[in-house]
Amino acid sequence: MSKLVSKGLSKWFGDLHVLADVDLTVEDGEFVALVGPSGCGKTTFLRTVAGLEQTDEGAVFLSDKKIEGPGRDRGFVFQQDSLLPWRTVMENTVVGLELAGRLDPSEAQRVRQLLNLVGLGGFENYYPRQLSGGMRQRVNLARALAIDPKVLLMDEPFSALDAQTREIMQTELQRVWEEGRKTVLFVTHQIDEAVFLADRVLVFARRPGRILEDIRINLPRPRNIATKRGPEFVALVDRIWQLIEKDVRESVLVEKS
Amino acid sequence: MSAAPKTPADHRARFAPWQISLLSVVSGLFVWQMISDYVIANPLFLASPYQVMKALLHLFETGELWRHVATSGVEFLAGYAIAAVIGICVGLLIATNSFAKNWLQPWISGFYATPTVALGPLFILWLGIGVWSKIVVVVLLVVFAVIINTEAGIRSTSERYLEMMRSFGATPTQLFFKVSLPSATPFILAGLKLGIGRGLIGVVVAELFGSRMGLGRLIGASADSFNMPELFAAVSILAASGIAMNSAFALLEARLVPWTKD
Repeated sequence: MSKLVSKGLSKWFGDLHVLADVDLTVEDGEFVALVGPSGCGKTTFLRTVAGLEQTDEGAVFLSDKKIEGPGRDRGFVFQQDSLLPWRTVMENTVVGLELAGRLDPSEAQRVRQLLNLVGLGGFENYYPRQLSGGMRQRVNLARALAIDPKVLLMDEPFSALDAQTREIMQTELQRVWEEGRKTVLFVTHQIDEAVFLADRVLVFARRPGRILEDIRINLPRPRNIATKRGPEFVALVDRIWQLIEKDVRESVLVEKS
Repeated sequence: MSAAPKTPADHRARFAPWQISLLSVVSGLFVWQMISDYVIANPLFLASPYQVMKALLHLFETGELWRHVATSGVEFLAGYAIAAVIGICVGLLIATNSFAKNWLQPWISGFYATPTVALGPLFILWLGIGVWSKIVVVVLLVVFAVIINTEAGIRSTSERYLEMMRSFGATPTQLFFKVSLPSATPFILAGLKLGIGRGLIGVVVAELFGSRMGLGRLIGASADSFNMPELFAAVSILAASGIAMNSAFALLEARLVPWTKD
């Protein structure tokens, strides 16, 4: 079982208490979204799970193993796609396998199917500069899935896309996720995106960064555009917005001053 | 306005880029010919393109041209190749090793900013009048441009790419070969391209200081005997080789680093 557990996780950047005593258990196959105002530590928490940040207190465990650094049991989907411009779509997607020395014809075949799954069949030999922002984020996702991780860590992957593309990518991500049902931690500042995608939404608060509320989303799947117009959806978004409204206003003021 | 008028861009689009360049050279030669025919009609001051052509043909027929070109060519290519190898290696070294960086930086900055061609006579004194003194001058002129560009290339590697690769468990060696080196390639090529012009200057100036053969020697001898057509002939060969090598580099860049062009 690939259970993800965070126990008493704390972290400081100098005097700034970015994460205070974060306790969390994510079950295998759960889709968990992290929302909150900027500066609430949600991205730092995700990066800590990825092993890209060190912890000051507490620890994160994946399948009862303490996370000490980056590892191929976690796949990271970056906010900016970070595709290597000198590699084709295929070469970018297999990079994790290549680094692990696990690239062979059967794995390559599996990656080709994966590219089909994310809607990039036929684009294997394209270079990133030839792709749209939405397509590049599909490669970003496929690259993380290619190493077949236990957990998928997604850091605001759709925030750089235009509104229409984002809607489509949300539905696409849901479809891809239904195929494999991997555990997902998804950071976003879009409340509706969080509610649309997740089984659970963790609402973060600022100063210190901590989990304010853990909200279960019981909307039936598959969800679609109509889901977003339903009263249940609207009520959930509204509730979360009220939880973080004060914090968001404060963070906006801080950024202005 | 409903009818689309012809914009200037429509006219420009009728010519291929190389056609425009060719037209530019031909009209330049024409203006040059006109000036030397009607404005400065004294071959002691300005040789016309026609006279230069004749001088070139003459040098070619006597076999003299080939000997000069071969000598300068060997000096340039040997110096350039040595400088490229040393420059890339040292650039990679100082980009990845801070002790080497601190140790070598003052020398690199100093030599890069100094007109090292001025040291030409010294190398002729040490190494003789033959090709080796010229090769050393070329190496000195080219190598620092390559070092500085190579180092800048490695250092400018995007932190986003490095972090992405780290998240997939890349080792430092993998980071170097799979991210830093490919990402530095456009910079390394730019340094090598910069080295072409510097190397050609090195060959000519070093030969002017003292040599038995070479295009620089030909330029010096022609100037001494006020043979302007021959002087221009030598200069135009240098210009043509510079243009040829730069075009070859453009092709190389299109092949090796296509992602930098769009």
